[in-house]
Amino acid sequence: MENSGKRIVFKSLIVVIFVLYWIRLINLQLGEKDYESIAINNALNKITLYPSRSNLFDRHGKLIVYNTHIYDLSVFPFEIKELDTALLSKILELPGADLLHLLEDAKVKAVRRQKNNANNKSTTFYSNLSARQFAFLRENMFRLKGFFIESRTDRQFASKSAPHALGYLGEANETLLESDEYYQPGDLVGITGLERFYEKEFRGIKGIKTVWQNRKYEQKGEVKDSQFNYPSVAGPDATSTLDIEVQNYARQLLEGKKGSIVAIEPRTGEIIAFVNYPDYDPNTLVGRSRANTFKSLLTDPVKPLYNRAVKGVYPPGSTFKTVMAAIALQEGVLEPETTHGCGGGYRLGNIRVGCHPHGGPLDVRGSLQISCNSYYCQVFRDVIDNPKYANVKEGYAVLERHLRSFGLGSPLGIDLMGESRGNIPSVNQLNKRHGKSWKSSTVISLSIGQGEILLTPLQIANLAAIMANRGWYITPHLIRTIDGITDTAWQRKFKFKHYTSVNPMHFETVIEGMAGVTLPGGTANGTGIPGLEICAKTGTAQNPHGKDHSVYMAFAPKENPQIAIAVIVENGGYGATYAAPIANLLIEKYLNPGKETQKPDMEKRMLESKIQ
Amino acid sequence: MNSYNNQRQESVDFLSVFLFIILIVLGFMAISSSTSDINWDHFQLSALATKQIFFLAGAFVIVLTILFSNVAVIDYFAYGFYGIALLLNILVVIIGHEVKGAKSWFGIGGFGLQPSEFAKVATALALAKFLGTYGVRFKGWKNIGISLAIFLIPLVVILMQDDTGSALVFLSFFLVLYREGLPGWVLLSALWMGLLSGFRVIGDFQGVSIYYGYGFLFGIASIVILFFRKNKAVIPLIITIAIASAAFYTVVGSAYHTILQRHQKSRIESVLGLKEDAQGIDFHVKQSKIAIGAGKLWGRGFMKGTQTKMGFVPEQHTDFIFDTLAEEWGFIGTTLFFILYVAFLLRLATLSERQTTIFGRVLGYSLVCILFFHFTINIGMTIGLMPVIGIPLPYISYGGSSLWAFTLFLFIFLRVDQVRK
Repeated sequence: MENSGKRIVFKSLIVVIFVLYWIRLINLQLGEKDYESIAINNALNKITLYPSRSNLFDRHGKLIVYNTHIYDLSVFPFEIKELDTALLSKILELPGADLLHLLEDAKVKAVRRQKNNANNKSTTFYSNLSARQFAFLRENMFRLKGFFIESRTDRQFASKSAPHALGYLGEANETLLESDEYYQPGDLVGITGLERFYEKEFRGIKGIKTVWQNRKYEQKGEVKDSQFNYPSVAGPDATSTLDIEVQNYARQLLEGKKGSIVAIEPRTGEIIAFVNYPDYDPNTLVGRSRANTFKSLLTDPVKPLYNRAVKGVYPPGSTFKTVMAAIALQEGVLEPETTHGCGGGYRLGNIRVGCHPHGGPLDVRGSLQISCNSYYCQVFRDVIDNPKYANVKEGYAVLERHLRSFGLGSPLGIDLMGESRGNIPSVNQLNKRHGKSWKSSTVISLSIGQGEILLTPLQIANLAAIMANRGWYITPHLIRTIDGITDTAWQRKFKFKHYTSVNPMHFETVIEGMAGVTLPGGTANGTGIPGLEICAKTGTAQNPHGKDHSVYMAFAPKENPQIAIAVIVENGGYGATYAAPIANLLIEKYLNPGKETQKPDMEKRMLESKIQ
Repeated sequence: MNSYNNQRQESVDFLSVFLFIILIVLGFMAISSSTSDINWDHFQLSALATKQIFFLAGAFVIVLTILFSNVAVIDYFAYGFYGIALLLNILVVIIGHEVKGAKSWFGIGGFGLQPSEFAKVATALALAKFLGTYGVRFKGWKNIGISLAIFLIPLVVILMQDDTGSALVFLSFFLVLYREGLPGWVLLSALWMGLLSGFRVIGDFQGVSIYYGYGFLFGIASIVILFFRKNKAVIPLIITIAIASAAFYTVVGSAYHTILQRHQKSRIESVLGLKEDAQGIDFHVKQSKIAIGAGKLWGRGFMKGTQTKMGFVPEQHTDFIFDTLAEEWGFIGTTLFFILYVAFLLRLATLSERQTTIFGRVLGYSLVCILFFHFTINIGMTIGLMPVIGIPLPYISYGGSSLWAFTLFLFIFLRVDQVRK
């Protein structure tokens, strides 16, 4: 019968639809796809709580780097409603076209975040608001639906004199963002200097506040689950080894000249001063001006960003004679009393190493005080032509091993990135350069710190520290302590004494010579400071590109030394002309803190002189 | 006409009332959950849940009123109800206020009244009354014309309110007429026309020339003719169908482009999988599916559905109320809910079939078909199988008009059933 058939049609239709829909539910609710986490992610907004970075103090507890608050304008791009572009463009002082461009950017980022199910759903629209913009925006916030102001911290430098040591911050780049998930786009990270080296220690720990957030981006209270909420932890206070007074003074003395100053406390390896010139004002590499300043610094021909003290390599010139003497004494080819004649230069076949006029035959002490080239040509030959060894190459290899024990030819391991190794030529390198049949006379210029030998200013300062310590050094470093951090690898490293392969007693002979350098008859006579026993060695590094570099290394006092220092002034001529006065004034400043210099004329001359 | 005079007092159908109560309780729970804050405090009702309590109380009054009224009165006033409902629906086009694009609300104090909800029960009563009139059958142009007019007039009026969803509900009456004698081929033709329309819309959207459509139709026709080549009598019929289909295929395209509004087209295109817009309709359906999927087997727990509470699902307490059920009670919950709802519909179908009067049967089938239509469209859109047409889920969704109208509808029918001979 037709009607009973129709009755079945109705009920079957109902059942068919229910079964179809039920199968769809199986698919949705019991399927592979994890809709639950998508749902959770939808409704949460994880707000990053930015910690303050470590405050940095100098060795006497003076604050040298601290934080300031900066404010960013952030946006939920899809929540923008009836945007008053004229108002926003007036506040931000941006042309309308740029504003639209920024809006487009923000939208693209937001869509990407939505696709990746990112936790933080807003994006930074305009960073580092000026005080004026901030005040203006705060008043008008209610007119800018979808926008809000976020706070972060940026760096401020109490002293402008140590930019290369302290370093600067910049936005985390793609590589870092990919390799370390701690960072999010826009985060500030240490790019150079201590900021870079101690990034992990200084940055603190970001916190997270998780809030329920509805579709309209209205916050509906905190998620009551401790797994989603934790406060930020500020970076611990850190104490630097720098003496900011000495540092500032060093910066003043070097101004107008190209070069580097490194001063070390010999007993601890702590760096007291670390200066390069040309440099830059670190407070211009913060906030809104960061990108522009950085661009102009990068293209500046005088290279203000260049960290000469650890990256620049120079021939050490005559300062190298101290090391040669110590090694020769150790090798037994030189006695403190050994004398060699000079005759205005060293001649061997058609090779001649010139010397300046001075009185005749000298011992080790005199040779250092007067810096006799001939003497060290002879000493160098005695060392590598030593009949103890089969040939000159084996003799040279012995010399090379000694030199390497002085921390030369490889990075010392300072707590800065990008330290150069300098160069101590290996036998191979000499073979390549001079052919396989070279003799001691072929490489004779090495004896006076020329030729293939290259050292960083830091390495020269460390040589001064080795002399001061009579044969050992601790890796020079710029951070003394970071609160709450103990017994880490780097801390152990900065306590370890590296001994050279030269017996401590031989250094006494060398020091006797160095003690005479600032006295009458010495190469730096007249630059000394009355009452201070400064042990020093001048150098004049030949420079194929122009005027010689003025080099000087020193430590003081002679007994129980407190400071070792190296100064290099590019194109400064003789070591005694610029490097020695600057170093000695700094030694005086450090040893007699708070007192007027006894050499006001010399100080004035150094402060005022400029080398183009 | 006087068949109800000596009424037999049998108790009202227990199973239907039982299922009805369970459904409204489930609905109330879902409404409370979807409208309260995420950090929910026990025993604190949201403003909308409080309002819903008022609506439930109203529904209770309706139930009592119907159960204590005389069916003869209902029968007597059937056309009157219809007339009033029609007038109100016309009036609302003129003086009503607009909610979400549809001008279908009277504002009364803080409440809104949606006359189109009541038009469904009124139309069912009128149709039942007409077909139940002594001597009237669903035959002859006049009777068929009147029957169609009874529900097509409110359909057109409600379309004028820009409430496409509610208007389409009236198409359910075709199913009722099927029970009353409308031949099956008419419904099959309608289905075929639906398919043709779908292909035409997809084809136009993708820039396919309509000549491919013609080619396809006549290609199929040729194959069928080849198949029936022995039975010569069928061939003219097949050719006629093919030509009619081609004509419809042509007309429906131009109608689609000229009659439908942009947002309506966009919804249809979205459900046909033609459009992808992150913030539009597609986004709603995506969020709805996330909500349902997030429920997994056991659900996220009462008051813990973030998708629905936090507004990611649109209309989470009205049209998309099923999402709250699915997110909070999981597959276990949705399966139980389906079983309850299907039991309810099947029970009502059984009751309809046992009616001794045409009036009762038409009324019962109207209820079953309208509820079925609502369910199919409403649940279908939340799970992404149907276009997003805004109609509520009867007895579950928030709202007074819908609850009262469907309660009225159900209990008039149960009362009629109670006094059947």
